[in-house]
This record gives sequence, C-alpha cells and structure tokens, in this order.
Amino acid sequence: MTLNRRTLLAAASAIALAATSFAAAAQELPRNVRLVIGSSSTGGDTYQNSAIVAEALAEKLGIRIKVDAVGVGEAYKALDRDSRGTTLMMFHDQAYLGNLYGVTGYADPFENYIIGPSVAINPGNAYLVPKNSPYQSMEDILTAAENGEKVRVAIQPGGVSEIGFTAMKNAARVRAPGSEENIVALNTGSQSDKNQAMWDGLADVINGSIQANEQFTQLPEDDQKAMRFVWITAGGAVLEQAPPEGMGDTTRDQLLKYASPETSVTLDGEKDFTFDKEFFFLFNKDMDPAIIDQIDAALTEVFEEGAIQERQKASFFIPNFRASDESRAHFEEKRDTYRRVIDELKSGS
Amino acid sequence: MEILDIITPLFLALAVGGTFVGIVFGAIPGMTATMAIAVCLPLTYSLGLENGLALLLGLYVGGISGGLVPAILLGIPGTPSSITTTFDGYPMSQKGEGEKALRIGIIASLVGGLISLGILYFFAPVLADFAIRFSYVEKFLIILFALTVMAALSSDLLMGIFSGFLGIFISLIGVYDITDGGNGELRLIPPGLEYWLDGGFSLLPVLIGVFGLAAILEQAEVGVPKGQSMADVKIGRDSSFSFSIFRGQVGNLVRSSGIGTFVGILPGVGGSAASILSYSAAKTFSKTPERFGKGEPAGIVASESANNGLTGGALVPLLSLGIPGDAATAILIGAFTLQGIQVGPLFIGNNPQTWEAMVIAMIVANLAMFTMMYFAIRMFARVVTVPKHILFPIILMMCVIGAYTINYGIMFDVWTLLIFGLFGWLGVKLRLEIAPFVIGFILGPSAEIYFVKSLEAFGDATIFFTKSWIAVVLWVLILGSLTASVYLAKRGKGGEATP
Repeated sequence: MTLNRRTLLAAASAIALAATSFAAAAQELPRNVRLVIGSSSTGGDTYQNSAIVAEALAEKLGIRIKVDAVGVGEAYKALDRDSRGTTLMMFHDQAYLGNLYGVTGYADPFENYIIGPSVAINPGNAYLVPKNSPYQSMEDILTAAENGEKVRVAIQPGGVSEIGFTAMKNAARVRAPGSEENIVALNTGSQSDKNQAMWDGLADVINGSIQANEQFTQLPEDDQKAMRFVWITAGGAVLEQAPPEGMGDTTRDQLLKYASPETSVTLDGEKDFTFDKEFFFLFNKDMDPAIIDQIDAALTEVFEEGAIQERQKASFFIPNFRASDESRAHFEEKRDTYRRVIDELKSGS
Repeated sequence: MEILDIITPLFLALAVGGTFVGIVFGAIPGMTATMAIAVCLPLTYSLGLENGLALLLGLYVGGISGGLVPAILLGIPGTPSSITTTFDGYPMSQKGEGEKALRIGIIASLVGGLISLGILYFFAPVLADFAIRFSYVEKFLIILFALTVMAALSSDLLMGIFSGFLGIFISLIGVYDITDGGNGELRLIPPGLEYWLDGGFSLLPVLIGVFGLAAILEQAEVGVPKGQSMADVKIGRDSSFSFSIFRGQVGNLVRSSGIGTFVGILPGVGGSAASILSYSAAKTFSKTPERFGKGEPAGIVASESANNGLTGGALVPLLSLGIPGDAATAILIGAFTLQGIQVGPLFIGNNPQTWEAMVIAMIVANLAMFTMMYFAIRMFARVVTVPKHILFPIILMMCVIGAYTINYGIMFDVWTLLIFGLFGWLGVKLRLEIAPFVIGFILGPSAEIYFVKSLEAFGDATIFFTKSWIAVVLWVLILGSLTASVYLAKRGKGGEATP
C-alpha cells in the first residue's frame, strides 16, 4: 500500500478523533457504573444508603448505577482493577477502623484509595443492656468497672462495633486507671449473635442499633428479650437532625437522653467521646480527577435540590454531603482522633 | 385500610409473576431463590411494601421449589437446599420416571409450604421465644446431628467419613471472618494464593461444579449419549404417577415439613440442613432404607417438603425478632429497610395488614407454584429428551453464568466451578464419596463457628453435654443416627445407598 498525503491525513484525523473521544470519555463517568459496597448484606444500612444515593446520582447524570453487595475484600479488589470509573465503592468508617484495628484485608484507605464525598450518617450505633439489668446507664457500667465488677460487652471485633467498646474502656481508664481491665469484650458476629449472647446471659452489654433494637426496648421487663438503651454513640447535635418522631415508639427526645451530652462517655476527662457512622465514596487511586469532579458536582446539585434528604431522613439517615476534598480532610481528622484513643489504650498511658 | 384494599390485581399478579420467575431461577442450575430476590429487590421501592413483598415472596417460594427440576432431571441441585432431592430424584429420572418424580416433588413442596405457613401464622411469636433458647451450643449440636448423615449416605463408611471431613476442611479455607465473630485471620491457604482464596470457596459454584460439571465430564469421557425420547421418560405401569404413592407417606410429609420449619426458625443453621436432616430421618424411619439413594419416592418427599417447609420457618425469626432465618430472608429484610419499616418483636402487632398481606402472598405463591409446575411437568420432563450435545453446552453455560453472578460478579467463582467440576470427576475415580463431601462443605463453616463460639463463651467443653435438656435430646439423636448408620452399614444395606 502506498502512503499518499490523503491517506496520512485520513489516518491522522482518525487518530485525533479517537483521541478526542477517548479524552472526552475519560473525563466522564461511563454509562454503566457498578457501585460495590463493603458489606455483603442487602438488608443492612450500607446497602440501603447506597441504593438511595445511587438512584439519585444515576438520575442526575443519566447513567445506570448498580449496587453490588460484594463485601469489603471483593469490593477493594474490584476497585483496584478499575481506574476508569466503571467501579466505585461506598463504605463507612469501618474502612479505616478495620485498618486501625489491624484486621486482615483492610488496607489503609487514605494510602490506597481516594476518599470521595460523604453522603450520610447513620446515627443508630448504640449499646444496650437487658431491661432487668442492674446497670441502668453508662454511669452504672463505668462505676461497676471501677468497683471491680467484670462487665462483658458483646461486639463484632475490628470496626464500628468495637470503637464504642474502645471508648468505654478509654472512659474507664480516664476515670479510674486500671478499671478498664474490667470491661471485657465478648466477640460475636452478627446482630443476631449479639442479641443471643444477651439472652443467654453471656453478655451484660451488647452493641446494637436504634433501628434493629428499638422494638426490643418496648417489650415488658419480664420478657427475656426486653432491652434498654444505655448509650447512643452519635453526638446529640447529629441526633437532633433525626425526625422528631424518632424510631418506632421512641421519640427523638427520648433517644437524645442516651447520647452526649446527656449520657457522657468521656474522651479525655473534658470532652465526650462520640462516634457517627458516616458513609462515603472510595475511588481507585488512579481514577481521573475529572470524574471525581463530575461526581462531586452532581451530588452537590442532588443535595441542593433537597429530595434526597427527605428520602434519607425517612430511612433514619442524617444527610451529610461533603465534597471529596472536604470529606477527605474530615475523615483524616476523625481517623487521627480514634487512632489516638486506640493507641493510648494499647499502651496503657 | 382493609386487607381487601391490599389484595389488588397487581398484588396477585406480582405474587404469581414472582413465583413464575422464581421457578425459572430455581430451575436453572446456578441460579437460586436468593439471587432472584436480590435481583428484584431494588424494584420493591417503587412498588410499595405490600406489593413488593408479594413479588419477593413469590420469588422465594418459586425459587426454592424450582430447584427440584434440575435436581431430578439432571442430577444438579438447582438450589443448595435441593441437594438431597438429587439422591433419589435423579436415579428415578434415569430409570425413566422423571415425570413421576417431579409430581412427587411438587406435591411434597406444596404440602411443606402450606404446613410451614400454617405454623408461621398461628405460632410465630411462640416459636421465636423457643428459638432463642438455642444458643451456640444447641446450634452446634444440630449441625453435628446433620453431619452424622454423612455416614448414612456413604457406600463405604470409612471413605464417606473421610470425604465428609475433607469437605469440612476445604470449606474452612479463607478468612475467619469478623462478621462471623472470627478474628479476621487467613487460614489453610497455600502460599501465594491468598489473593484468590481469602474469601474461600463459595458454596454454589462448588455445588454445581461437583454435581453439574463433573457429570458432564463423566459423560464426555464415555461419549455423549443420545437424548431419551418422551417414550423413555415414562415407562411401564410402575412409572406412572398416582396419589397412592403418598399412602404411608403422611408421617414423612408432616415430619419433614416440621423439620424444615423448625430448622428455618433457627437463624444461622442454614436451609440445606433442613433437607439433609429430613432425608436422614426418612431413611432412619423407613422400613426399606436400602432403597434410599436408588430412586425411593420417600427421599424426594422428605427433601422437598423440608425445603419448602423452610420458607415459612425462616420468616418466623425475621418477623418476630428481626433476624433472618436463611440467606434468602436476609435479602428479604432489605425490602423492609428500603421502605423504612422496622422488623422486630413488635412487627406483627404494629403492622397487621402487612403481616396478613405476607401470609396471603405466601398462600397465593404456593398455589401458583403448584399449578404452574404440576401442569408444566411434561414440558420440564422434555429436558431429558434434548440431545446431550445440545443440552450439555447449555447447562455448562448456565452453570458458568450462575457461578459468576452468585456473588455479584466474581470471576474466581467461575474458577471454583471448574476446579470442583474436575475434583468431582476425579474424586469418583478415587472412590471419594461426593454426597458426604458436599454435606461436609455446606455444614463445615457453621459447625466451626458454633463450636468455637461455644468454647469461647462458656469456656468448658463439658457445656456441650450440660447446657440444657435440648442438648441432651440432641445427643440422643446424634448417637441414634450414628448407631443406625453403623448398623445399616454392617447389614450391608446402608452400604449400597449412595446417591
């Protein structure tokens, strides 16, 4: 084949066109996006929150987004493989807490991925006791530990469930050094296991949530299944944004009694420890920043329009949009606070 | 709102349509009721709670029931809970009694579904209170009891037990997940394979590998046979279906439905245990246990009534404690959370109309399942007449798609299918017993969790004997099952019962 000027020109034009299309495509989210989540459950809050956000974002951008509940290990693998924006991830504070607690498979998300926008808080993380327990409050629990009583707390180790337990031990240490040894973990799995541990008399306190456990708090005291909230880890300022009717038969005002400042679990003797379970995007480290900008811009518009907030609140989420840069700074600060608590507890200082 | 306002034509159409789609999912090897529910879950938000539940419950009932079709006709369990259906269903199909086996299975499914539904409707809160008396210890003993079935299903007792333990061993490969209360550490993984095996081998790809792909490889080895003709599907007077087959099976039906329902109400025990336990019980109580595994209708009755019995049972903890009873109801709970509805001990009292709507949807789904499947049997049965050179590639393709999609698109699951297909094919040559292997694989993770948790929580191995009267009863059943297996093996009857 002879290469004449026309052929070369045509080839150059084709290459330029292809490059332009590629560049244009690279700056936008693809038409079909997979949103993997760090939970393998489609019945939990991660799926529920992701479904709400995915639907709103897909509608705004005119694309399709499918939420896949693959679990944290597979989600990270999927994210590692794809820098084109075809795969995004949604998870919550467990992402860095798992890393802080040294759980296998939890890479440092700040090192290995890009922290994307935050979208919501689930203010439901809570601790409960049997309704007929001698411990009526966190004060009772911490006093019991000071008095040398062993308090057994059922948690799922290595993350959101454990951070409240760490805070309890930390508060006991701050109030009476050495008493933290009396707050001991009973490692369980699902919420079902934690409840069962309480009903079997194996745990004095269990980690749970407002959503999953509220109905048990409405049962009469003589019912073996009856429970009572003693602590809601979300800060009062966050919980105040929940609907006034609260959850089930427990109003927001009643819930606030179990959250800081009315229920105090001290961080350092002055401030209270609080923990809000926040959901945020994670992106492949090499993903085009233009795509991140596109997502940030689209979500900004979605939250400005306001409809998503209604849907989030109806599902007991607190809307909490932060664009990527702000989100990253926020989570780094949050991570540093919890790292300090965990490290101090480990070192016994 | 009156209940009649909820039961609209759309509600009924969704229940019936869901059942149809569920049957299709269940009937395709590698596709399950759980998958069908997961796929349709996002639709429920726009449908509203009652209509959404009608769709999902239809999918649930249809998906569990549809699993019997490939189990009987192809020897591949359509869902994990139809494993024991293959033990007698497939031999019947090979004898040209596929149609008869399908009818038996469908009727047993209907009876199991309706009995469990009745139990759910009248006794849900009471049963939930009973269920919470089963702690880690009792759950471990139930799993142990189910594991004793390995002995009963072995033609060579020693090799059967070895195969079962191999299944348990392989099931434990991967991370001891913190979501199960584990320490998050990896174990039993050969060096260099951590990336692939950190999540272990998924159940469904393993199942369709050892049952489906291995069978295809076996057929390929001997040469692809021609398909049967319809004349072969139904041969002789003995092969025709008659309701008289169920004479003498009432006890089996009720017992198996009861076992299915009971296992369903215990969160974490797993749906497959229901059909395994029922099958074992049916064999133990049978006057002709030696016929099990060779095409005994009572085996299909036990398996199918139990796995449909599970459908009502698994809803008991879901609606009374907010805890899903099996994998499918774990996804079903998403329909409630997407609508912002709490499920827990007050659910039934606080949401009487939703509760009634669920029960009605289950009744409609069970009747629709029966109608659709019973009258489509001849169409199903034609599967075996499809020439194998056409049928096998189709099955293989469906198995691959099913393996890939079961965990929302993980390629390693396809490799798992291929690895265990080869394993199943070679294993038979090495005299490994596939049924005990699979039962060990299914029950191994639960056995480990409940065993370790029992020791962690109570700190003393004697707790397995002293925890409660329930534990004592379970030990009696375990010892009885083992004694029966050894006795049958010695008589040489149990020895020929391998599926």
